[in-house]
Amino acid sequence: MSEATLHDLFELLDLFVIEQKHDGNYRLVGSVPDWFEHLFPGAAVSRKPLAPENLSPFLENFLIDAQALWKQNRNCRTSSGYWMQTDASGREFPLEAFAIRLGNKRFLTIDQPIAAYNEQRNILQKGREIVLNKEFLEEEVRKRTEQIRNREEEVAVRLVAAAEFRDDETGAHIRRIGLYAEVLARQLGCPAEYVDNIRIAATMHDIGKIGIPDSILLKPAVLTDKEFEIIKQHSEIGAKMLENSRAPMINMAHDIALYHHEKWDGSGYPTGLFQEDIPLSARIVAIADVYDALVHKRVYKPPIAELAAIDIIKQSGGKHFDPAIIAAFLDLHDDFKKIAAYDDSSMFPEAAEDC
Amino acid sequence: MIQKKICMVGSFAVGKTSLVSRFVHSIFSDKYLTTVGVKIDKKVVTVSSRELMLMLWDLAGKDDYQELRPSYVRGAAGYLLVADGTRAFTLDVALQLQKDVESFIGKTPFVLVLNKTDLIDEWQIKEPQIEALRARGWEVIMTSAKQGQSVEEAFITLGSKIVDG
Repeated sequence: MSEATLHDLFELLDLFVIEQKHDGNYRLVGSVPDWFEHLFPGAAVSRKPLAPENLSPFLENFLIDAQALWKQNRNCRTSSGYWMQTDASGREFPLEAFAIRLGNKRFLTIDQPIAAYNEQRNILQKGREIVLNKEFLEEEVRKRTEQIRNREEEVAVRLVAAAEFRDDETGAHIRRIGLYAEVLARQLGCPAEYVDNIRIAATMHDIGKIGIPDSILLKPAVLTDKEFEIIKQHSEIGAKMLENSRAPMINMAHDIALYHHEKWDGSGYPTGLFQEDIPLSARIVAIADVYDALVHKRVYKPPIAELAAIDIIKQSGGKHFDPAIIAAFLDLHDDFKKIAAYDDSSMFPEAAEDC
Repeated sequence: MIQKKICMVGSFAVGKTSLVSRFVHSIFSDKYLTTVGVKIDKKVVTVSSRELMLMLWDLAGKDDYQELRPSYVRGAAGYLLVADGTRAFTLDVALQLQKDVESFIGKTPFVLVLNKTDLIDEWQIKEPQIEALRARGWEVIMTSAKQGQSVEEAFITLGSKIVDG
């Protein structure tokens, strides 16, 4: 192809093209497009040496890549990517440069690809807006789900507190059982949904006490064998109240209510389940319930010291409690201690202010 | 006058362009317009009694469709690593980009900018995370390009790191 044809081609394509000669200087190929003159007035006049590195810091940087490409002994090219060039009035225009090695010739072309740039920008803009919108919606769903969960939890805690009002079990105790169960389940590596569910389900473990007569439930002395048999029924009464639900959390609460008095060695009640036949949720709540009862006052006993409570639970490993859950409990001793300190005023600060 | 190249690096829609716009032109627009390629602005600042011309390279944000080109950060005297406080994963992207930039141009002064403090109630980036980064020796500045909060501070702090070493 003759030089004249090349010039005509570049003019048709509205490209600014310069060639680097072997002495490192540049010469213009073809004519200067109007847009180039508008953006870089006087940069390509005939008596001035061409200095593309002075046109823009971006181009100065790109020339490093261009020089590396021109040293190669094969036909090749590389693009600078788009950059925005501002004219004297502050308007911005997209430009793109190419370094081309063609035979033994070294070209630098600069183009003003407005249409291609706008198309790419529109596609990217739409794509990113979709992603941002998706992020926003996911965050809204997460917030709403959390709000619903918090509402469920508060309703559960307050209802259970109302159901257990007769035997002096406070809302704080109920909430503490949920919190102990939550940290234990998380420590045992349970999935996030399981952990969220057990925090609420655990609070319903003794809901069956509503079916136990006051004379037995509130007796401030040791129960007779017959009375103990009656109070044991609270686990089956609670399970009946919670059965046949489609909600996973309520199903978990059913299992906890029914099985939280089963023992690892099979000596528990109501059915004498053995080891891992006892649902995990019930095994978790079993420890939580006993620990909380030990370190707090009950109608039938005073609280005992923290370390004594830990000793009792440790010694029950393999008999009353699942050894793996005891190990998790011992790792979480500090968390349990903090939870044990919650009382009604910290659980329901608005109620405390009204008192 | 000394010229220093500063790059704006971060995920998309974190506010890189808005930070430059606020710093250089004192303007802000709520409309999100994605950056394609590179835009270069400049501003003269005084740092440690010296005049510096900051050449601000506003780079397109990183996402699945656009990677950071090593040639764009070549020769940078420093960079602002920008994340959006309301989008937690943009901090993860920033942390990865910091490693990428360091692999491209070596240890270079930078400031981590957590933008959009005007939406602080919606922030997903929490104080413990910020403290952990400060504990690493990172300079972390919380800004609002919308309200102009701490924007100049971020650029001047970076300038100081560059000049004072």
